[in-house]
Amino acid sequence: MSQEVTLDCLGEACPIPLVKAQNKLKELASGDVIIVQIDHSCALKNLPEWARKDGHNVEIEEVDDGEWEIIIEKA
Amino acid sequence: MDIKNNKFYKKWFKSGWTYITGAILLSLFQIVTLAATGNPWGVSGVFANWGAWLYRAVGGSVDSWYYFANKGAQATLNAGILHHAGSMRNLGIIFGALLAALAASGFKIKKLKSKKQIVAAVLGGFLMGYGARIGFGCNIGALYSGICSLSVSGWVFAVFLFCGAVVGSKMLTKYFM
Repeated sequence: MSQEVTLDCLGEACPIPLVKAQNKLKELASGDVIIVQIDHSCALKNLPEWARKDGHNVEIEEVDDGEWEIIIEKA
Repeated sequence: MDIKNNKFYKKWFKSGWTYITGAILLSLFQIVTLAATGNPWGVSGVFANWGAWLYRAVGGSVDSWYYFANKGAQATLNAGILHHAGSMRNLGIIFGALLAALAASGFKIKKLKSKKQIVAAVLGGFLMGYGARIGFGCNIGALYSGICSLSVSGWVFAVFLFCGAVVGSKMLTKYFM
């Protein structure tokens, strides 16, 4: 069964959310989902950019003012 | 009208601009800055002046300090912050960034996550501030404006900035994550 992991990166600035997500994704299997919670607008750009380039499915959800969830499904 | 779903609102205010748009705008406005103030764009040198004005306000004197002892620096300090183009520009940057965040409804007051984060911020800020003054410029004044004015010093700065960034990144992932 595929699992879902939440990564709390609230209050973290670049490049920490990206590095944390990259490290976590390595531990997961294909089909697993990782939800990265961020409130740093640069991560809103570099996280989806990296994940899409790597071939994963990416969705962005605006949770609140200045708060987003980047949902990445490992390919 | 529902502004949130307006196509132009989404394009101009909500989603981030591309790096190319940013680069073109920065290039244009640094020319405007140079033409209007007579000096290339700089950011961190202004903070040294703010420090000097604060120190003067509490009765101190920086007049004999090497950095402030020359005529130009003295004239700037004596003219005051209201006549200092760089100060106005820095305030404009802060105000503009606030406006952009508000317009995208992306403004948020962030919590400090850990003591480590405070240590990293204070240490990083100190190193950047000290380095910028001892190197007579930060990544804007020395790197960006240096390269813009076709100065070799900007490229030399870039090489060592890169070396420092490599060391900094290693430290960041090792101690502060």
